[in-house]
Amino acid sequence: MSDYTKYTKQEMQAYAIAKNIKENQIVIVGTGLPLIGASLAKRAVCPSCHPIVESGLMDCDPVEVPRSVGDNRFMAHCAVQWPNIRFVGFEANEWLHDEDRLVAFIGGAQIDPYGNVNSTCIFGKGDYLQPTTRFTGSGGANGIATYCNTIIMMQHQKRRFIDHVDYITSCGWMDGPGGRERAGLPGNRGPQMVVTDLGIMKFDEETKRMYLAYYYPFSSPEMVQENTGFEVDVSRAQLMEGPSPEIIKLIREEIDPGQAFIKVPKE
Amino acid sequence: MNKVYTLHDAVAKFVEDGDVLAIGGFTTNRKPYATVSEILRQGKKDFIVYAGPGGGEVDMLIGEGRVAAYINCYTANSGYTNVSRRFRAAIEQGKLTYEDYSQDVLMLMLHAASLGLPFLPVRLMQGSGLMKYWGISEEKRKTMPKLENLKCAEIENPMVPGQKVVAVPVPKFDTAIIHVQQASPDGTCIICGDEFHDIDIAVAARKTIVTCEEIVSNEFIRRDPTKTRIFGECVQAVVKAPYGAWPSQCYDYYDDDDAGLKEYDKASKYQDAEDAKAQLAKAAAKAEKAAAAKPEDAKLADAAAKAKKAAEDAAAGVKIPETFKDYLEKWVYSCEDQAALLDKIGGSRLMRLKNEPHLGYSTTH
Repeated sequence: MSDYTKYTKQEMQAYAIAKNIKENQIVIVGTGLPLIGASLAKRAVCPSCHPIVESGLMDCDPVEVPRSVGDNRFMAHCAVQWPNIRFVGFEANEWLHDEDRLVAFIGGAQIDPYGNVNSTCIFGKGDYLQPTTRFTGSGGANGIATYCNTIIMMQHQKRRFIDHVDYITSCGWMDGPGGRERAGLPGNRGPQMVVTDLGIMKFDEETKRMYLAYYYPFSSPEMVQENTGFEVDVSRAQLMEGPSPEIIKLIREEIDPGQAFIKVPKE
Repeated sequence: MNKVYTLHDAVAKFVEDGDVLAIGGFTTNRKPYATVSEILRQGKKDFIVYAGPGGGEVDMLIGEGRVAAYINCYTANSGYTNVSRRFRAAIEQGKLTYEDYSQDVLMLMLHAASLGLPFLPVRLMQGSGLMKYWGISEEKRKTMPKLENLKCAEIENPMVPGQKVVAVPVPKFDTAIIHVQQASPDGTCIICGDEFHDIDIAVAARKTIVTCEEIVSNEFIRRDPTKTRIFGECVQAVVKAPYGAWPSQCYDYYDDDDAGLKEYDKASKYQDAEDAKAQLAKAAAKAEKAAAAKPEDAKLADAAAKAKKAAEDAAAGVKIPETFKDYLEKWVYSCEDQAALLDKIGGSRLMRLKNEPHLGYSTTH
């Protein structure tokens, strides 16, 4: 598709990610959309950011899109090849030093109104020991959600946005104000927003509950509520403009030309 | 001292049934597939497995029923298989004894083992299901002498009154298996690229088996000690196994094998022929139901017809898709050793995987 004025939901999501990365931030990315978003930030929107991955590879600038966080593609184009434990220590020390430079992208299968995320299993008809659907497990997400501010990436579906998640893999604001402190977690860290294919949710400063902050040119507040399994405040929602043709061209021609993570429609 | 063994002899001598096994590498990078394959061929079993972030190598051990308990933090061939399929099936069918830790905690546990610590305090997993749910109960743990009695325990930090921290056990490993780029006969290892947790487990384990791309002399490996990463006295066996991490990556040497990992992804959907028949029949019934619900939808009708044909072909034994068992027969059991495996993969395919030095990966993998 050589028409760069048209873009897909995923491209909008990648752009939304890039737009939310700030100057000089250290950005913890995984593979997939967050990596595309961070690459876009690094090349066009916010070149002063430093992408790092949980395997311990710091300041990554891959030429070709990596498939895993331990990929040779990250390893060959980064500043430092640390083992994972150094990454864990770095993340904890950033909090101990009261530095506010880290932001992390995590994903999941289920999320509740307070941003608690499940990426372990869906109990379904079973339980934790024998669930209906089992996923990989935590990976680095639990530690990241403990010590860092997070941006959560989700597909916006009713069955994913639910009142209570089966299993909390990565803690959000727990049960509301003071919830993190009560659980023994740093209270001054937590989920900042949820970027979905329909919009951007943020968390109310007082109640810590999710609300709709932005919808996209192809979505609406009504669509967001319809696809959310709990009441979500849409009264503060604003329209976020879509990406320019230059941005779309950059994603398709330079960042992910092999369409490893962003598929471009054929028409 | 010369510690060079054949792969067969190293595994025969240093891997025992019931061992606590620590596996090096990271999902699809520098995973010791050659040694795992030899363990499978020799029928060894009943392991308690730690793999850090695991991938196909753990999935193969689980699918073959060799794992008594798996201590998990993440299991997937990232970018190829979202969740390793035999791991997933074993849990969903209630057939796997397992424990979940966060990756941070598990990797710190491996590091603590290398430091010889008695237990490990962390400020992680608090408030999460990782503390609330135990895969292996205290009662069951007490029947497993090689596993600590507790998954974790919230305690007060004796240095900071009132502060809650989480104590986790420090594992004791019988055998570590890792794959490195170069090793010498005395056991000294060079690891290029990220070390992952490989040094930690090599130090912590009673026995360490190292497979390597190249064996170099004890003198040569000492020419530049800034590159050597593992002290030879931590190593019991050195095995020359070129492409010993195949189909995963090995930094400076080769990329992952796209075709190999895709083949495993497809094949591991089905445990064996019976499982394939059952799953295809189930899929056909589901597609038929979907088509019946929307009789006007030609696409659904077409999909139902295709699913029906696939199920019938499988049931009649005309065409059964490749299964996990087939994959293992082809790439593990029918290969006597690593040389036989390389012959089967083929020269041109192996050459395509070679890293391009200016990029650090292959553009033709």
